Amino acid sequence: MDNQATYNYKVVRQFALMTVVWGIVGMLLGVLIASQLVWPDLNFGPYFHFGRLRALHTSGVIFAFGGCGLIATSYYVVQRTCNVRLISDKLAAFTFWGYQAVIVACVITYPLGITFNKEYAEMEWPIKILLAIVWVAYAIVFFGTIAKRKVKHIYVANWFYGAFILAVTLLHVVNSAFIPVTMWKSYSAYAGAVDAMVQWWYGHNAVGFFLTAGFLGMMYYFVPKQAGRPIYSYRLSVVHFWALSFTYMWAGPHHLHYTALPDWTQSLGMVFSVILLAPSWGGMINGIMTLSGAWHKLRTDPILKFLITALSFYGMSTFEGPMMAIKTVNALSHYTDWTVGHVHSGALGWVAMITIGSMYYLIPRLFNRDQMHSVKLIEVHFWMATLGTVLYISSMWIAGVTQGLMWRAVNPDGTLTYAFIDAVKATHPYYFVRALGGLCFLGGMVLMLYNVLRTVTEGKAVDARIPAVAAHA
Amino acid sequence: MESLYLLIPLSVVLVFVIGIIFWWSVRGGQFDDLEGPAYRILHDDDAPQKERADGADIQKTRDADGDER
Amino acid sequence: MTATPAALACFHCGEPVPGAAAFPIRYRQLEHATCCAGCQAVAQSIIDAGLDAYYRQRQQPADRAEAMPDELQQQLQLYDDHRLQQSFVHMDSPTSREAALLIEGINCAACVWLNERQISRLPGVLGVSINYTTHRARVRWDETRIQLSAILAAIAAIGYRAQPYDQARQELAQQQARKSAMLRLWVAGLSMMQVMMFAVPVYLAPAGEIDAQWLSLLEWASFIMTLPVAVYCSWPFYRSAWQDLRRGRTGMDLPVSIGVLSAFFASVYTLLTGHGAIYFDSVSMFVFLLLGGRYLEQGARQRAGAALEQLVRLTPAFAHKLAGWPASHTSQEIPAGQLQAGDVLLVKAGETFAADARVLEGISSANEALLTGESAAVNKQSGDIVIGGSVNGHSPLIVRVEASGESTRLASIVRLLDRALAEKPRLAEQADRIAGVFVAALLLVAAAAWLYWHFHDPAHALPIAVAVLVISCPCALSLATPVALTAATGRLAQLGLLVSRGHALEAMAGLTDVVFDKTGTLTTGKPQLVQVMSLAGNADDAVLLAAALEHASEHPLAQAFRCATPYQASDIHAQPGGGLSGSINGICHAIGHADFVALHCTAPRPVDADPALLYLVNGHAWLAAFRLEDTLRDDAASTVRTLQQMGLNVHLLSGDRNTSAAAAALQAGITTVRAQATPQHKLDYLQQLQAGGARVLMVGDGVNDAPVLAAADVSIAMGGGVDVAQASGDAVLLENRLARIPQVLQIAASTRRVIRQNLAWALGYNMIALPLAVAGLVTPWLASLGMATSSLLVVLNALRLVKAEAR
Repeated sequence: MDNQATYNYKVVRQFALMTVVWGIVGMLLGVLIASQLVWPDLNFGPYFHFGRLRALHTSGVIFAFGGCGLIATSYYVVQRTCNVRLISDKLAAFTFWGYQAVIVACVITYPLGITFNKEYAEMEWPIKILLAIVWVAYAIVFFGTIAKRKVKHIYVANWFYGAFILAVTLLHVVNSAFIPVTMWKSYSAYAGAVDAMVQWWYGHNAVGFFLTAGFLGMMYYFVPKQAGRPIYSYRLSVVHFWALSFTYMWAGPHHLHYTALPDWTQSLGMVFSVILLAPSWGGMINGIMTLSGAWHKLRTDPILKFLITALSFYGMSTFEGPMMAIKTVNALSHYTDWTVGHVHSGALGWVAMITIGSMYYLIPRLFNRDQMHSVKLIEVHFWMATLGTVLYISSMWIAGVTQGLMWRAVNPDGTLTYAFIDAVKATHPYYFVRALGGLCFLGGMVLMLYNVLRTVTEGKAVDARIPAVAAHA
Repeated sequence: MESLYLLIPLSVVLVFVIGIIFWWSVRGGQFDDLEGPAYRILHDDDAPQKERADGADIQKTRDADGDER
Repeated sequence: MTATPAALACFHCGEPVPGAAAFPIRYRQLEHATCCAGCQAVAQSIIDAGLDAYYRQRQQPADRAEAMPDELQQQLQLYDDHRLQQSFVHMDSPTSREAALLIEGINCAACVWLNERQISRLPGVLGVSINYTTHRARVRWDETRIQLSAILAAIAAIGYRAQPYDQARQELAQQQARKSAMLRLWVAGLSMMQVMMFAVPVYLAPAGEIDAQWLSLLEWASFIMTLPVAVYCSWPFYRSAWQDLRRGRTGMDLPVSIGVLSAFFASVYTLLTGHGAIYFDSVSMFVFLLLGGRYLEQGARQRAGAALEQLVRLTPAFAHKLAGWPASHTSQEIPAGQLQAGDVLLVKAGETFAADARVLEGISSANEALLTGESAAVNKQSGDIVIGGSVNGHSPLIVRVEASGESTRLASIVRLLDRALAEKPRLAEQADRIAGVFVAALLLVAAAAWLYWHFHDPAHALPIAVAVLVISCPCALSLATPVALTAATGRLAQLGLLVSRGHALEAMAGLTDVVFDKTGTLTTGKPQLVQVMSLAGNADDAVLLAAALEHASEHPLAQAFRCATPYQASDIHAQPGGGLSGSINGICHAIGHADFVALHCTAPRPVDADPALLYLVNGHAWLAAFRLEDTLRDDAASTVRTLQQMGLNVHLLSGDRNTSAAAAALQAGITTVRAQATPQHKLDYLQQLQAGGARVLMVGDGVNDAPVLAAADVSIAMGGGVDVAQASGDAVLLENRLARIPQVLQIAASTRRVIRQNLAWALGYNMIALPLAVAGLVTPWLASLGMATSSLLVVLNALRLVKAEAR
């Protein structure tokens, strides 16, 4: 049915399935490195060493799992809300294979120690260039589809996806400026504090536009669809979009509190981080209130549970983030595992849960099924995911605060009370709990894979027909 | 600190670009109806379809009893 | 509705289905009943078109569908005429056409969906979109493949009525204004964020920490970002300040303009020379907050306006002109806009009158519900006046135009609504006057402060003067009243009360007495069957026979007989002022006044025939007599009780006989009754109350009571019983729901409370802030924040009224 009468579900299917696969790979790596922190003996040889696998874990869950999820849902949402097939099937197929190639290349090069040494952007320059090309192709497919849309209004989810695509392009290009030395080695074009500033401008906005804006796009489509109710306030969602897009750009310096960065730049980052709370919570409230009057659906619908819990974690971590950006709080939290906990309350609670919920909505529709093979398993998955997340963030919070307090404790004579190793010892049990939480979350993902495979084999890949809605005047 | 020479003009340019996008969307009537779009996505029926026996056409069979016509 | 509570509800419109479910429809293999052929046809076409999802998604039942007469079908085709289309069809390209349609009958999101699907299915339709808020559709189609009439017919087939309409220039202008206000606000907000971004570090860093080169980079960036604010966003302030100046007045835009411009140019001066301070952040923040307040206020005003606008439908696009009348009856289509007084028109059955006119030929009835609220058809014959915008009934009329265009009553209604929105309440006028004086004083204070500081500390003279201007910008003061009134007006419009005079809300807050008129106010004004007296045969059967005869009639009395009947009447003839006659099971029957039915009956009339009763005869026997009476509204008693609980004295005035008035008063729980009152009596009674110090709310139907309504401190006219345009009430209750009145009074009371709070806050704020600013203790950016907070508080406080739940 490869013609203009149907939607291009093929590429959505491919990305959706890879979302689940890469989710398991990335989280498996996460559990592995968490275990390495508990049992250092698990660091086998140079290739499977924590230092190399950690980068693979972060890139794996953010760009492979999250990225595939974002691309899958954005292709789906843009087609459905614009009432038109993707502008080019070939280019869309290229984005799929190209993006997978980038991921596989990372999976190979990172353990080999071939990296660019920039956090969340460790890939070496040939891979960077490939990613840039793939990303531009993705932008062309997405915006090209919007350009030939049959519905005059561009739904707010597409605005978020659009901002995500554009911002990531800009971030990737600016941050990746490199000077190649050999085929597999290059250096950053920036130096010193500038390099750090650019890196965290990138790192922060990757969180803002990749992990927030993109997934908010997902939220603004899948929460109303699954709840069967219109978004609480569409007006608010539009305001949310613009407010978030502006504020995020400037909060970056909070990652560099107490560094060589000038003090005033740090203060600036702090102020804007706190302001950021307003649009973030606006969006969260808008999402959750969509259910007002239909709360009962939460009792019976595990997909909705995923989506709404994701929003709750989003609210929690967007509250925690600005708090941690306050310099006095940051003095305690910086460099501790609190930060790791904060990141995971966003990554597991918000990003993963909203993606998982959306996939459970999406996959049956892509394979022409009424629902997933087993709704019960979704329910089990939900509870495993929630338990895992809670274990993870609470253990890391305790560990982080313990570390912060121990590191700063001084004796009356001005010497440090604890050696570094004391803090390591003190946090060891929490590392175990963290690994347990991760394992729990991963277990849920394995259930999901089984559920998805059953659904796929029982179903049939059918491209939905585009409803005969004429163009909007 | 030289990065400011890049970042500040960049932000100014960016703001103007965003301004133009907004101007375009206001003028194009993107914000004329801020209630309808919320309902419109719900009316887009993306429930699974089933092929009819003859395979010629895809028919919506969302109703459990499949009142096909 | 109350007559048959347990009846089966129509699958389509939810109205009760007549006993013998004669119009079944199959849906999802189940048989459902519909109430009439119209609903049946509509439901069938919706289901056939595969659009049955409508029935799952809708939140409200549809309007009852009327079967489409062939006449109407043909009439639609007239819309295809190119000359007519000139006034409402836009030509995109040689073949593609675009028109705006007003769709009647939309009451939830599912209706919009249904209509969009239905229209877009049509081959040749290029595009359609319906605005959920205004229920207006824009349709584009290919002239070579489909005609407009086919689109209109498709909409009619699913039970809605669509009319092309000429998008009024005013409306376009309003839309344009809204868009530019949004853009200005947004640009100011964007700029504010950015400038703050550049300014915050400067405030946070200890002096000297930031190198001069970075400082200048930040300042230049701020300048570039503020430029659009100073030029584009503030433009409306400059313009209005200039207009005020030319008229020799001082409005609140004057200090705003002076503040913005002086701060901006002072900063530019600093930027160029390096001496002084930079206030770009203050400028953009000030303008943003000010524009934000105005945008909110404008929005509230427009929402109130939208509620009113739904009252007004549009006159048809064209009319059939009889140029050669009376010699010839050949008609010619001309656009309604070109009609002039004296033109003779043919108005076919079911058509809308294009202008106010006098009937020359023909007997028909007109539905003037739109204009007068009277839902029953009004008989029209030679010499009667018909109103533009009302709908002609069952037979064609030839009429002579008396007024067209701007001089019609429809136009005057529109003007009334405009006035309601535009008229500044006395309170607001007062606030404006005070603000004017305040502004003049403020300018003097600012000038004095500048002079003083110029001699003592020249470096601080300008920032202090700017701070004075900004901090006490009397926004809060001049917003305090209007924003509360606007919010309350909007809220009341949602409740179905149109406030048409500015002082109404104010007056409603301090009442002591409420006086009700009886007929049409406390009672429904619609007769109901209260007694059946059998003269021969079965009384129940008589009712069914009567129902059959009255089935097709639109006469007010006919409504009283509406119920399910197994009988079918044919050959029905109506005698205006007399009654109806027709044939049931081949036997001639008649219903009506005794004089009329006597003509259809061989039997002698009963000796005690009462002219107040209706009689049913069947050719050779007098079957039954019916007594119809006006009944009390459902919510009358509870409303009166609530009002009394609120501590108000409730009175009843009636022109009726003592007994009937007393009975109504007793039922409603009113103890103070004045019956058999002429309008003069009513007026005297009211003035007597007022002389005793009472502040009186008069609730009446608006026509007979006009002088009384005018004399009361404040009045509410029942919109359902009166020509809105002529209502002398200060407010009009649209849905005739008396229960709204206590709610309205409560909202009025909270409005007054909010206004007082706002004024107290605005004055108190200025008393504290102004001395601080003059003393030089406030920087401009702090001043604009203070100004904004005070205005914002005022607006937010007022917006509580929008959500105010009347308890």
